[in-house]
Amino acid sequence: MPVPAILTKSLTKQYANLTALNSFDLEVAQGSIFGLLGPNGAGKTTLIRILTTLMRQSSGEVFIDGLDIRTEGRRIRSMIGVVSQENSLDRYLTARENLVLHARLHGMDRKTYNRRIDELLELMGLSARQKDFPDTFSGGMQRRLVVARALLHQPQLLFLDEPTTGLDPQSRRAVWDYIRSLAGSMTIFLTTHYLEEAEQLCDRIAIMDHGRLVALGSTRELKDRLSGATVYEIELERDVDQYETLLRSMPCVRDIGVLNNRLQVTLECWECLSEIVTALNGAPVRSISLKERTLEDVFISLTGAGVRE
Amino acid sequence: MIMRGSLAIWMRDMQVLRRAIFSELVAVVAYPLTIYLAFGIGMQSYIGAVEGSPYSLFIAPGLITMTAVNAAYNESVWSLWFHRRVQFTVESYRVTPISVSEIIIAKICTGFTHGIIKGCAVGLVIFAITPFRFPIEHLFNYLVFLIPGSALFSCAGVISGTVMDKPETIGKVEAVLVMPLIFMSGLFFPLSSYPPDVLPWVRAIPTTALFEGARRALVSGDMSTLHVLQVSVSAVILFAVAVWIFRRKMAE
Repeated sequence: MPVPAILTKSLTKQYANLTALNSFDLEVAQGSIFGLLGPNGAGKTTLIRILTTLMRQSSGEVFIDGLDIRTEGRRIRSMIGVVSQENSLDRYLTARENLVLHARLHGMDRKTYNRRIDELLELMGLSARQKDFPDTFSGGMQRRLVVARALLHQPQLLFLDEPTTGLDPQSRRAVWDYIRSLAGSMTIFLTTHYLEEAEQLCDRIAIMDHGRLVALGSTRELKDRLSGATVYEIELERDVDQYETLLRSMPCVRDIGVLNNRLQVTLECWECLSEIVTALNGAPVRSISLKERTLEDVFISLTGAGVRE
Repeated sequence: MIMRGSLAIWMRDMQVLRRAIFSELVAVVAYPLTIYLAFGIGMQSYIGAVEGSPYSLFIAPGLITMTAVNAAYNESVWSLWFHRRVQFTVESYRVTPISVSEIIIAKICTGFTHGIIKGCAVGLVIFAITPFRFPIEHLFNYLVFLIPGSALFSCAGVISGTVMDKPETIGKVEAVLVMPLIFMSGLFFPLSSYPPDVLPWVRAIPTTALFEGARRALVSGDMSTLHVLQVSVSAVILFAVAVWIFRRKMAE
């Protein structure tokens, strides 16, 4: 069985009276794109800082590619790439010089890094601007440069901490396309507030809150896990109130909501649909459609709808 | 310890310095030169000779030393603060396979290099436009003070840049601590001006050893081993403290 790219066991981080991570267990498979979701203050940043060796845990164990984070920090840092929330580009160095500095910090030799920098600048569409300072770049270009910097030394594990925050839709999609193109060649650990991003990119998603893992699985598994219930939307021509009362009295209907001339009916299970159709025999039904649960529904149901400080 | 990281960061800092060397030197030369013209020339006729030397010549070595150590301090403190709090480049260094100590050593070396370059620039200007002269063989003795002195202030700058999160606090520390230490260490007056009871305490301060020792080394070629040791040992202690504080701060 291959060694997991990331393995945490009872990982805990305590800041004075605040427990940022509470016995957090996680396993990320090699080569996967793994998404970490959570509201503000859930502990995502603390987790990513520990995984990237920027911070020590209070207790518990962390292994990156089988290496203990407490004793193998330097080796771990040589095999990870990090795209942090802040661009952290050096505004006094040109785009190319930023990459050269990073390559030198990784101990790459000049010939190798020059070739690799040429490749990455080309790939990121920044070749023509390589002699310009990052200050003169758009947000999307700066982000692409940070991604290029993180990939320069060909890491086995790439951490992307909210990689598309603040980007316009076009730039966001360009970053998504690039992340997809990396799939399989390295493990990608992504945190994001954009649930669509996680849904689009990630093989597996973890949702954390209050320092704990509250759900883990593929998008499909998480949606299925939300409840066994299925939601259908029934659009009626008229007599909405009458049919609402009728359906509400049925045992297989868990919940019902009304919006204009549409009934949103939550069933105990999808098999109940035939009972509903029978009950609506002769009713002025314009359409019946299955309402897909979104990842956002799952997220809100697990972490609550209240705004976090 | 592998010093690859220190070298890479120091090379980066030198690349940035090279780009702005002219404006940096103009700015750095202007301040001591103004002081020299105001005090050395303007006040000379009122002050007369100090310890047998014309006043303008008495203050010249101290101004060169002051430029060097100020440059070392300022470069370290602002560079570290800026990279830590504004650009977040320290974070990007820390996720590469280098140690925290390598980052701090690089920043100390950068401050030190700035100090030496800018001190030399001011020295050359004073040499060129004033009658201040010294035997060239005294220069080596002077550098024996200037090198650990710049390192000492560079370490102090690193500590300030690590501990302080607000730029205004950095300015306050410079006004309340750094400049008084420099000015009270005999830059503009002989140490014999201090009351006898105070003098031993003033002499115990490493900056006094630096300014007093450096002046004597440059003007008369005297090499006070005690002064050299005082400055060097202080620099080594402050270096250890700077590394320790930076490590702790980064672990937070």
